[in-house]
Amino acid sequence: MAFYTLGLTFGIVIALTVATLAIWIYGLYFNFKKWGMGSTGYQDELRNSFWLFIATWIHQAFKDGVWVFVKTLILDVLLLRRTLRRSPIRWVMHMTIFYGFVALAAMSGFALFMDIIEHFNLLGLAHEAEMVKEMMALPFDIFGYLLLFGATIGVARRIFLREVRSRTSAYDVVLLGGVFLITITGFYAEWMRGNAFLVGDVFSYPIYAPHFALLHTILALALFVVILPWSKYMHIIAAPMTILANRGGE
Amino acid sequence: MAEAGNEKKPLVSGFLMSTQLMELDGCTRCQECMKWCPTFDVRQDRPEITPMYKIAKFRELLGSQHGLRAKLFGPKPLNEDEINRFTEDTYYCTTCGVCGTVCESGINTVELWEAMRPNLVARGNGPYGKQSFFPGLLGKDRNPFQAKQEERLCWVPSDATVLDSAEIAYFAGCTAAYRQQALAVASVRLMNALEIPFCMLGKDEWCCASALVRTGQRKVMKDHAVHNVDALKDRGVKTVLYACAGCLRTATVDWPRWYEGYIPYKNVPLSVYLREKVRSGEVEWKRPLNFKVTYHDPCHNGRHLMHINGRDWAYEAPRDILKSIPGVQFEDMARSREFQRCCGAGGGVKAGIPDLALDCAKARMGDAQLIAADIISSTCPFCRRNIMDGRAAMPEKSDIKVVDVVELMTAAMGLDITIPQNSYSQFQEQDVIVCDEDVCKVETIERKAEGKDLVGEAH
Repeated sequence: MAFYTLGLTFGIVIALTVATLAIWIYGLYFNFKKWGMGSTGYQDELRNSFWLFIATWIHQAFKDGVWVFVKTLILDVLLLRRTLRRSPIRWVMHMTIFYGFVALAAMSGFALFMDIIEHFNLLGLAHEAEMVKEMMALPFDIFGYLLLFGATIGVARRIFLREVRSRTSAYDVVLLGGVFLITITGFYAEWMRGNAFLVGDVFSYPIYAPHFALLHTILALALFVVILPWSKYMHIIAAPMTILANRGGE
Repeated sequence: MAEAGNEKKPLVSGFLMSTQLMELDGCTRCQECMKWCPTFDVRQDRPEITPMYKIAKFRELLGSQHGLRAKLFGPKPLNEDEINRFTEDTYYCTTCGVCGTVCESGINTVELWEAMRPNLVARGNGPYGKQSFFPGLLGKDRNPFQAKQEERLCWVPSDATVLDSAEIAYFAGCTAAYRQQALAVASVRLMNALEIPFCMLGKDEWCCASALVRTGQRKVMKDHAVHNVDALKDRGVKTVLYACAGCLRTATVDWPRWYEGYIPYKNVPLSVYLREKVRSGEVEWKRPLNFKVTYHDPCHNGRHLMHINGRDWAYEAPRDILKSIPGVQFEDMARSREFQRCCGAGGGVKAGIPDLALDCAKARMGDAQLIAADIISSTCPFCRRNIMDGRAAMPEKSDIKVVDVVELMTAAMGLDITIPQNSYSQFQEQDVIVCDEDVCKVETIERKAEGKDLVGEAH
């Protein structure tokens, strides 16, 4: 079990994960509640209600029917049509970051589930769970490279395009820098283990691999999950919800 | 601007929907809006007036009152200088909506700006400059020109037929009634020639009150919306025709929000109605108009309504008319349809920040010069007025004229568009088509008296 070093145990990691998720869920609730401060209609009074925000959003999103909602979800949220129309490069950047991130997040959750099965030997499937985790190495690498590719475009855009650079604030840097850092540390942790996809054992340093993997995990949890509701990361939730509420926008 | 004691007033006092507060967090800061913003284009040293910056600032202000830190340690006192700067940035916007068209997150920016402004008005920070005259003027005179309501139809030629009630109504709007009467006369002549029975509201036609909604001053709005809708209903109207994009937008989007009841008529741009007449072969062209004509899409008829009326009504109908006029050589400017550059007058900018409106108009004139157009046509008297003002303010004299699509059509049909002498003749300021047999030219009528235009026209 490569992750459990520096005195950490499986139980502590699970507890940290649960605590992080709890903070994340509270963060989402906090933001929804903040938005819920607004009114439910034109020229209306403030409401201060989490549930009324949800109701208003549903009303807006389905105003033109289910078909428009589904079409908007596919074309504008999942395929980022509006971004493609404006800039193919930004579209590639967003698509790779979005799908890389979503896939890695989903696979991480699944891998954690496999960890639990393996640790407690649930239904006697510890061996199978370990095998599944091994099979996930390649998809992890592929989606990792996808995320790295997108993050690199994002960082390069902010560094090399003068106009974009001049209008970049700490708000942007936290997001892109965070994504880039998490991706790079994730890869480096893998490379240190040796026999990694594409690079082989060039960066192999197995003694410190668990430490680096732990650093990557902490960064991922801290930056993505804890900070997400309190920073530009929130656009990951708010932007798709905005597109859906406005039925694809103009 | 803000009065003493304002720091205790809340930043948001209603007017912003919960989904609009969500939109503030939906901005990806891609900077696309900055490439298209017409006011930033002429004020490159003020990025804070662009949508991305305004959203960031409002989110920051909101966070200081309702964010995590405010929740844990209490809200920070609002800095009035900061709010005043934000107010100025918010009003340095024509609410043209191009930012919403190009927004990757699909933020409905026009509605967002128009929802932010009433909050600033409620705090005493807004409106901006002379915009504050609008409620008083409309509340007292029912039009922004301090003109008499009884003289709304003083320009109607004596041989024209305007009914008291009919299924079709022509809503002229304040500018056509008092300042650009050539458009009003042309509209009436056209409909008479095409044997369209129509009525007008006369003294019962109150200002559409667009300026109030655009500048966040909503108090008198309801009176105007309810009055106009009731007046149209009383006359049994089923279709209302508009030759003013601002009135059309307000009647289509804003009046229904204020009117508690069923609205039995539909709002139709006059250009759409006339295009059907062209297509059905009822229009008989009498003379060619040998001009190179381009079309300026008014924001209010285009981006503001394309999601309701569709692209064909919003963009193609006026173009189809222009292309059908014999002799007209039509060419679009580089920025057209949903990507059109705003003339700079809307959102209260013409009244509040006139130099900004002029600079935007000059930029639009520049677009027309690039394609060597003879005439910029439009379907908005307010755009027309501002582009003419921009032309006058250009460092080098320009021969480009600004004429409404309806007037071009009327001239090509050989109709008489002489404006009868009336109390407002001396305030007329517009380019008009003058035809001698088969040869037409465009002349500029200069205003002969200043009038009581405290705030100019209003949209």
